[in-house]
Amino acid sequence: MEAGGGGNLTGLVLTGVEVQQNGFHLGPVSLAVAPGSVGALIGPNGAGKTTLLRVIAGFGPRPAGELALDGERLNDLPPERRGIGWVPAGLGLLAHRRVEENVRYGLQLRGDPDARAKASSWILRLGLERVAREYPTRLSTGERQRTAIARALAVEPRLLLLDEPTSALDANAREELIRTLRELLAAESIPMLLVAHDAVTAVSLADRVHLLHGGRSRFDGPLAELEDRPVDRFAARFLGYENVLSAEELAAAPSGPLALRLRAASGPGGLAAPAHALIVRPSGPGVEGKLLARRARGRTVLVEIDGLRLLGQAERGSSLPPVGSGVVVEVREEELRGIPGEVGTVADAS
Amino acid sequence: MNLGARLANVTPTVLAGILSASLLALFLLPLLALAEFATPAGIWKEGGDPQFWTALDATLLASAIAVGVSLLLGVPLGYLLARKNFPGKSLVRSAVLLPVMIPHLVAGLALLLWVAPGTPVSRFASWAGVPLVYSIWAVVLVMVYVGASYTVLASELSFRRTDEETLEAARSLGATPTDAFLDVTLPTASRGILTGAVLTWARGVSEIGAFLILAYAIYPAGPYTGTVTSPISVYIYNLYGLNLRAAAAAATLLVLLALAAFLAVQLAERWGRLPWRRGEVGT
Repeated sequence: MEAGGGGNLTGLVLTGVEVQQNGFHLGPVSLAVAPGSVGALIGPNGAGKTTLLRVIAGFGPRPAGELALDGERLNDLPPERRGIGWVPAGLGLLAHRRVEENVRYGLQLRGDPDARAKASSWILRLGLERVAREYPTRLSTGERQRTAIARALAVEPRLLLLDEPTSALDANAREELIRTLRELLAAESIPMLLVAHDAVTAVSLADRVHLLHGGRSRFDGPLAELEDRPVDRFAARFLGYENVLSAEELAAAPSGPLALRLRAASGPGGLAAPAHALIVRPSGPGVEGKLLARRARGRTVLVEIDGLRLLGQAERGSSLPPVGSGVVVEVREEELRGIPGEVGTVADAS
Repeated sequence: MNLGARLANVTPTVLAGILSASLLALFLLPLLALAEFATPAGIWKEGGDPQFWTALDATLLASAIAVGVSLLLGVPLGYLLARKNFPGKSLVRSAVLLPVMIPHLVAGLALLLWVAPGTPVSRFASWAGVPLVYSIWAVVLVMVYVGASYTVLASELSFRRTDEETLEAARSLGATPTDAFLDVTLPTASRGILTGAVLTWARGVSEIGAFLILAYAIYPAGPYTGTVTSPISVYIYNLYGLNLRAAAAAATLLVLLALAAFLAVQLAERWGRLPWRRGEVGT
């Protein structure tokens, strides 16, 4: 999602897009999604992700800045003339029309003479043939989601917007939908911008992520880059860092050897440490602590050191003492990530 | 579970059952008394009276027109109240409630003074081809006045429940605001609008107070000189003044016809998947 200002770029290009609604200010946001690629919007609740998607789709107040799709300025176009497939979080299916009628709806509006055949083809592609004659209320969440996507794609949009497409799905249905979206992406060379509710969706689908926080852009770039340098505590938690500590928490911890090392590694916004940065073993060199809990499967353990409760990993091959016993923890400082967000400006995402 | 706990579990249901049965008895027993007094022979005889059917025809025609007018004028108002903000909105809503709140004799008096023969409204109505004297239009006017509020209020409630995301999805698929209204807003609100229309119809059919007040304006030569344009309620009231048993028979016949219509709708809902039930769970 490289920000770009050129009007000749294909795909979606946002340049300094800003919007003010009910006291909430979003932006300026600059991002780009090229045809055939996927951008993911991430951020805590209330960050403005859905607002941004709605603004791109043509809903809500008119934004400042430049919104362009395939080089065409969108700002003044009504939603029906933007050529954007919009799949809201609640899906917006027409409850009084069957699945087949929902998929056909946009084609009918365009007076497409092949509406029926095209709708049938999309129903087949999305695996909805078994439920094509059903009303949306009779479908599973996954089937409803696929109906909404089939309906949006049937009209051959120039951009597909999906608001939290996987958030209401269980793990299996989520995997299935991600697989479907990847297949569609490979076949249809259109840009896709989605709100990713979880790291799995973002990792599986997105080429780049755009992090919003409190209506402000905090990061735009490849996910791996954000993983390596989480810009705020939300990003660190979203990306699966098991230990995310604020600077205040670290400052308040008793000044033992571990707390001092963590403080040294932390940034103004705190510290992110994956479990594998803290190797826990029964004895040997390292900082002394207490084993508080262990999982039945896997090697993740909860330890308490210097008043801090942290998730670490049991050393491979070592056998830890019972819960409540003393252990030692080796810190892999190269795995610690200081969070650059300034104290007081990065809202806590928890 | 001990006896006390069982009783505690059962008692609310039993109590609710007794109270419900009392209310149902209150609903049904007077009607049974009415039917008993009317006697089957009396009902049969009334069924053969062409005046009864003329009055019923007039009622059905006038109420159908009144429902049509209420839908035409009331649904847009319900939509505006539900979906738009404008100055004086709460005053408009109060005005809609007025006909429901005021006694119907008062409504009748107000209408009488407004449309009586010789008033500008009466002259204008005659000029416009909808004369209010010796015609069905005065009956329609009364029915709209006392019943249209229900269509407005039920429409407003239904339009408030329109799903924004469905509207937005439809727009992004190419629907203009008018398409979206016709394809999304109206179908989702249709059941509520229908409920409002049924209430408007029922209110119109059962109206009597305003008709009695207006009767001398509608029928200057005397209120009961003919039933060609007088509704069934006036017809029954007229009979009540002359022959109580005949009035009871006509009333019973009307109840039986209403029950038959109600049953027909119930069966159609069960068997026929009526259009306003499309997409509901279980259909």
